[in-house]
Amino acid sequence: MFLTRSEYDRGVNTFSPEGRLFQVEYAIEAIKLGSTTVGIRTPTGVVLGVEKRVQSPLLESSSIEKIMEIDTHLGCAMSGLTADARTMIDHARVTSQNHAFTFDEKIKVESVTQAVCDLALRFGESMENEDAMMSRPFGVALLIAGIDELGPQLYHTDPSGTFVKYEAKAIGSGSEAAQAELQDKYHKSMEIKDAQILTLRVLKQVMEEKLDQHNVQLAQVTVERGFEILSDAQLKEAIDAM
Amino acid sequence: MNTFVSRFAPSSSVIPNSRGILADEEEEFSDLTWGSHAGFGNLGTKGIPTFEVPHLADPSAFLRMHTDDYADPNCRIKIQHGTTTLAFRFKGGIIVAVDSRATAGSYIASGTVKKVIEINPYLLGTMAGGAADCQYWETYLGIQCRLHELRNRERISVAAASKYLSNLVYSYKGMGLSMGTMICGWDKTGPALFYVDSDGTRLKGDIFSVGSGSTYAYGVLDQGYHWDLTDGEAQELGRRSIYAAGHRDAYSGNTINLYHVKEEGWDFIGNYDVTKMHYDGPGNVLGATGGGYGYEIRAAGRSASDADAIDTSA
Amino acid sequence: MADGHQHPIEHRFNPYAENGGTVLAIAGADFAVIAGDTRQTEGYSIQTRYAPKVFKLTDRAVLAVNGFQADCSEFVKRVMQRIEWYRHAHSKQMPLKAIARMIQTMLYGKRFFPYYTYNILGGIEEDGTGAVYSFDPVGSYEREACRAAGAASSLIQPFLDNQIYFKNQTPAPGAAPFVPGNLPIDVVLPIVIDSFTSATERHIEVGDGLEMFVVVAKGRDVSQLASLNAEEIPATNPGEERVFIVRRELKKD
Repeated sequence: MFLTRSEYDRGVNTFSPEGRLFQVEYAIEAIKLGSTTVGIRTPTGVVLGVEKRVQSPLLESSSIEKIMEIDTHLGCAMSGLTADARTMIDHARVTSQNHAFTFDEKIKVESVTQAVCDLALRFGESMENEDAMMSRPFGVALLIAGIDELGPQLYHTDPSGTFVKYEAKAIGSGSEAAQAELQDKYHKSMEIKDAQILTLRVLKQVMEEKLDQHNVQLAQVTVERGFEILSDAQLKEAIDAM
Repeated sequence: MNTFVSRFAPSSSVIPNSRGILADEEEEFSDLTWGSHAGFGNLGTKGIPTFEVPHLADPSAFLRMHTDDYADPNCRIKIQHGTTTLAFRFKGGIIVAVDSRATAGSYIASGTVKKVIEINPYLLGTMAGGAADCQYWETYLGIQCRLHELRNRERISVAAASKYLSNLVYSYKGMGLSMGTMICGWDKTGPALFYVDSDGTRLKGDIFSVGSGSTYAYGVLDQGYHWDLTDGEAQELGRRSIYAAGHRDAYSGNTINLYHVKEEGWDFIGNYDVTKMHYDGPGNVLGATGGGYGYEIRAAGRSASDADAIDTSA
Repeated sequence: MADGHQHPIEHRFNPYAENGGTVLAIAGADFAVIAGDTRQTEGYSIQTRYAPKVFKLTDRAVLAVNGFQADCSEFVKRVMQRIEWYRHAHSKQMPLKAIARMIQTMLYGKRFFPYYTYNILGGIEEDGTGAVYSFDPVGSYEREACRAAGAASSLIQPFLDNQIYFKNQTPAPGAAPFVPGNLPIDVVLPIVIDSFTSATERHIEVGDGLEMFVVVAKGRDVSQLASLNAEEIPATNPGEERVFIVRRELKKD
């Protein structure tokens, strides 16, 4: 890719003669620098897991926030430039609440994903438009997990504004090895506990540090309890069970 | 924060601009309305509602002419009005009691109105004045409280929630909104109660009653109130106060809805028919003293309507 | 000049008219009836004898509108448009309670320049029960078992309170207590017809024709409707809820 680099890799809204948008492709590359994030869908819920890279022993690992709640039935895990994800998740939250206000019902998982992707595409809008305040594509990918009338669902979004539904998906630096492992071990009728353990196993495989309750975070969206980030005790229990 | 500031920016879209209604039409068919999530109508995509205003020098006079049934009982568009509501703080939390009558002019438009608006599991708002104003803005307050909770990982305080509502309605001051509401909840400071109205008044307090029947409710409430009421006594006081308003105020009545705000959130205590309260009382419920609330019952037939029964020999 | 001072109201902006007519809706356990007369008046003249006031929105939602005809037809058009956009965006039919909330936001969006419309929405909820939602012109709304609106609302509502909510009735000694909202369709439709024939007798703005829409929950037996000459409106999703229309004549004087 870098061989064909030319003046076409600068403008966010200019195609190269080969029909490529280099800035978008570079943004997708940025995700591969991010920490590994895994999502697994089961018939009763969706599990999200992230690696927290604790770069310094002085760093408070609890301040690293890579899984966030969108609404009671929706959660989101990120990889890449996590600062960009705040904007996207706030948009998802506002959209979800606006939907609840206007239609007196919970927004569908696909609809909220679509809303996030609409925002991700707005880098292309001209700067004269006062609403267009984006200078570059977002450098972050999201795994959006949720439950609606169609059951538990997992979506992956990338900086190009594309979204795809997955049964199990890994993103970030260790994603290739992690995705291969998921492909090998995933089966449709998993229990939520099995999904927690598989998530941890996959993360463990690709992490440089030894996995413990300080450098990973698990969350789940279940039919009974909605979105929740697993407490230290629950996380430790899952790690011990692994 | 930016969205909050823009709400109060002078170019706010509620103020009719030189392009008048046409500008609104344009807005309506922009992709904000029908984009891939089908839009939220006048809510836009940022969740800030905009309103169409008639392109006139004095839009609020127009609104008053057509909707204010106090100024003109023959006005065409009769907006429903709410009537007696009360809330008070005591050691066991907050009691919220309301009637359920809605009137449009002198017609009883409904006897089953829910005048307690369940903003979320730990906040209640009451409805007096324009039914739609209260319903719409308190529902709107509910989503803003939820966003506060998601963004700050902490529930909003009752003070902040009521201030948000107060600021919101103040920005429409003079345009004809009509609401008198009490925001009730339990936060870090304990039970908290605020009165907010469409003039922009916001008061913290222990006892409030709002609506045309409030004077009757206050009469019962003030004489029976003290901080150390038990839960049962407090609930009974709320019921009796709304009963008194329902009995004496023509614009109040039908049924009583009673709520109790506690530390773990609010509880719906019950719905009571005002007429049944008069003759039979609430029955075997917490705090009930037995018998009906009506004075005919207490006079036991020895009243002016039955002069023979009154012992005049003494 | 003097006349101008005496009647300043004549010179003010008045974009509203009153077009008479009346509508009502009643919810049953697994059906809803939404009905309206078809007369349209302005003042004392009858403009037309057939102006529909009840509209099918989806396979499970029917909207009755009453008040100022121009606002009514504009409003119904916009509601239908929003329902269509919603179907494309969320790939599903808008649920009844979602339509109800959306109507509130649409009415309230014109809080400072109201639509002169009284709306009653009837249909089947997601759980298969019949439901009626009534609205004031600026969007305050409530789910009820029955509601009458429009010119003859004050004539019909007390009758419905008595017949549907059993207000001021006491069960015969030993009989089961009344439960509102559970009347069968062959009791409800005659109540609707009687409401309109009676209102036609006593209200000049009501009459000509009666249209009763019946929304029926999925899988419900509809044999009773066949005997009433009900005509089925073709469904978008066959096999789900069904909408029938029953027409009757009302007096034309």
